Amino acid sequence: MNQELSNRIRQKLVATGEEERLKELLKTRLLSSGWRDELSAVAREYLKAKGVQHVDVEELQNVLLVEARKSIPDTVKKELLVEIRDFVMQHEGIL
Amino acid sequence: MADRPGGLCSHIAEQRDLVMESYKIVISFLISPESRENLEKRVQRFKCYTCESVGARCRLHACLQCCYVGCRLYNHSQEHHEESNHHVAISLSHGVLYCYLCAEYVHDYEFDIIAIKARQRLADFLDLNEFVRSVPLWNPKYGELELLSLQPKRMRVDSKTPIGLRGLYNLGNTCFMNCIIQCLTHTPFLREYFLSQQHKCIRSSPADCLVCEMCSIFQEFYSGKIFPHVPTRLLYLVWTHAQHLAGYEQQDAHEFFMATLNLVHKHASGTDIPYSGGCNCIIDVIFTGSLQSDVVCQSCHGVSTTIEPFWDISLDLGQQTAGDSRKPRSLDRKKLTDCLENFTRAEHLGSAAKIKCSKCNSYQESTKQLTFKKLPLVVSFHLKRFEHSKLLHKKVSTPIAFPQQLDLSPYMAKPEEQEEADPTSTSHDPSFSRPHTYSLFGVVIHQGTLQTGHYTAYIRQSPNGWFKCDDCEIKTATIEEVLNCEAYLLFYHKKYIEYAVE
Repeated sequence: MNQELSNRIRQKLVATGEEERLKELLKTRLLSSGWRDELSAVAREYLKAKGVQHVDVEELQNVLLVEARKSIPDTVKKELLVEIRDFVMQHEGIL
Repeated sequence: MADRPGGLCSHIAEQRDLVMESYKIVISFLISPESRENLEKRVQRFKCYTCESVGARCRLHACLQCCYVGCRLYNHSQEHHEESNHHVAISLSHGVLYCYLCAEYVHDYEFDIIAIKARQRLADFLDLNEFVRSVPLWNPKYGELELLSLQPKRMRVDSKTPIGLRGLYNLGNTCFMNCIIQCLTHTPFLREYFLSQQHKCIRSSPADCLVCEMCSIFQEFYSGKIFPHVPTRLLYLVWTHAQHLAGYEQQDAHEFFMATLNLVHKHASGTDIPYSGGCNCIIDVIFTGSLQSDVVCQSCHGVSTTIEPFWDISLDLGQQTAGDSRKPRSLDRKKLTDCLENFTRAEHLGSAAKIKCSKCNSYQESTKQLTFKKLPLVVSFHLKRFEHSKLLHKKVSTPIAFPQQLDLSPYMAKPEEQEEADPTSTSHDPSFSRPHTYSLFGVVIHQGTLQTGHYTAYIRQSPNGWFKCDDCEIKTATIEEVLNCEAYLLFYHKKYIEYAVE
C-alpha cells in the first residue's frame, strides 16, 4: 500500500473518531485476552533481573516491543483487520 | 528519577500551574478530543513537526512549554528539548508527563484525573462506553491499599500456575460429592461470582448457608495451598438440608449435583421453588435454560406449546439390543449428538396416551417434540447409565463419543416468525446464524458396577490444561484421555458470551 493512501485512511480514521473506537476495542481485547498481564509480567521479570535503577523507559520499550507484537493473539489481529476493512469499504471515497 | 514514586519531580512541580494549563489543552485537542472540530484539528497536528511521521511507532511527544510535537523514533523530541531548553513533554500515546531533566515519565494524581475525565467525555461523545466501562481497571482505594499492605504475599497467576487445583479427602464414600465439587469449582462463571465475593448472605446464620460454604470452598481451592481440602462442612450442610443424601452409603453424583443446585438456589434466593421465574440467583443466571415442548395433534395439526425450565439434560443412551448390533453403524461409537437428536426428535405418544387437543376439542393421538428454547450459560448433560425399570436395574456401559466444542444450534426451537416466512430468507439474519457453541470443561466418570463403584472427574484448569481428580489425587491428563472416557456427566460452558441487552 502506498504511503499517501495509508495517510488518507489514517486521517479519515482520526477525523471520524473511528480511530478512538478501534483503540478502545483493541484495549478491551488485549486486556481480556490476558496479553496485557503477560506483558507486564515480562516487564517485571526484566526489571527484577537488571535492577530497577539500571533500566530506563527507552530500554524497556525496545526490549518489550518485539515480545509485545509477537504475542498479540491472531484473533485480535484478525478482528481489527476486519474492522478497518469494513471502515474503508464504508468510506469508498478514500480510495 | 522522580523525587517520590507517583508524584511530580521538582522540575515540573516548580511550574505546576503552567504545565497543568498546557496539559489540559493537549489532552482536549490531541489525546481525547471532545468534539468533531477537535478531531479535525487533530488530523493536522498529530504528527512530528520536524519529519512529519505519524503512527504509534513514532511515539510522539508534545512539548508543554511551546507548541511543538516531536517523535522519539528519530529523536526529534529530544532535539527540541536541547535546542529550546523546554523540558516538560507529554506522551501523545498515553497522556503521561515526561521530564527531560530526569529522563523519566512522571505520574501525578491530579493530572491523571484530568486525563481520565477527558477520556470519559470522549467516550460519551463517541458512544464508546461499551468498551470504556466494560473493563474498568482496578484502582485500589485507600482502604484497599491498607488491606494490601497487611497482606504482603503476592501470587502471580499465568497459564502454567496450577491454581484452582486441590485434592479432596474422601470422607467415606463421598467421591460422589468430590467429583461434583471439582466440576463446580472449575465452572468459569461460578468462579468469577464467588471469587469476586458477590454473594450477600440472606440467611439467619452464614454457618447454615450453603452459598457461603461454596464461597469458602472457592477460596480454599484458589488459595494456592497444595494439600488436600477436607470438605466436612459442605457434607454436613448437605446432610442437614438434603436428608436423602445423608449417611455413609454410596450416592449418585448426579443426584448430589441437582441437590446442590437446588440448595444453593434456595439459600441464595430464599425461595423453595426451583427455577422460579424472575429469580436472579447465581444458579438461575448460570444453569437455568428452557425447553420448548410442542404437542402436535395428528388430526388437525394444531400445536400446543409449553415452555419448561431445566437445570440439566438427561439423555437416554439407546438400547444395546441384538437388532442394533447387526447394523454396520454400531461399529461406530455412538455420539453425544446422536443422543441429542434422539432427545429432540418428535415422539409419537401412541394410542394409549390420547391428549385433548385445544383446537379441535377432542381426544386425539399426537406427537411431542422437545427443543431448546433458551440455552443456559452452563449446560450439563446426564447420560443415563443407570437403568432402573420394574424388571431390572443395570448399568449401561455404551461408549459415547463427545466433542470438545459442541454446537447446540441444531437442537434449538425454531423462532416463531420463521414458520410462515420462507426458510431461506431468515437464514441470513446474523442473530440466527450465530452459533450456540459450547466448550467442554468438566467430565464425571463412574467406574464399577451399579452396586459399588467410584467417581472421578476430569476438569479443565486452563484453556488446554486438563487434570484428572481422584479424591486426594490430581494428575495431568491429555485431551484424548478425556474424550475417550466413559462419561457419566458432561459439563459445557457457552463459548461466546453476548452482552446483556438492556
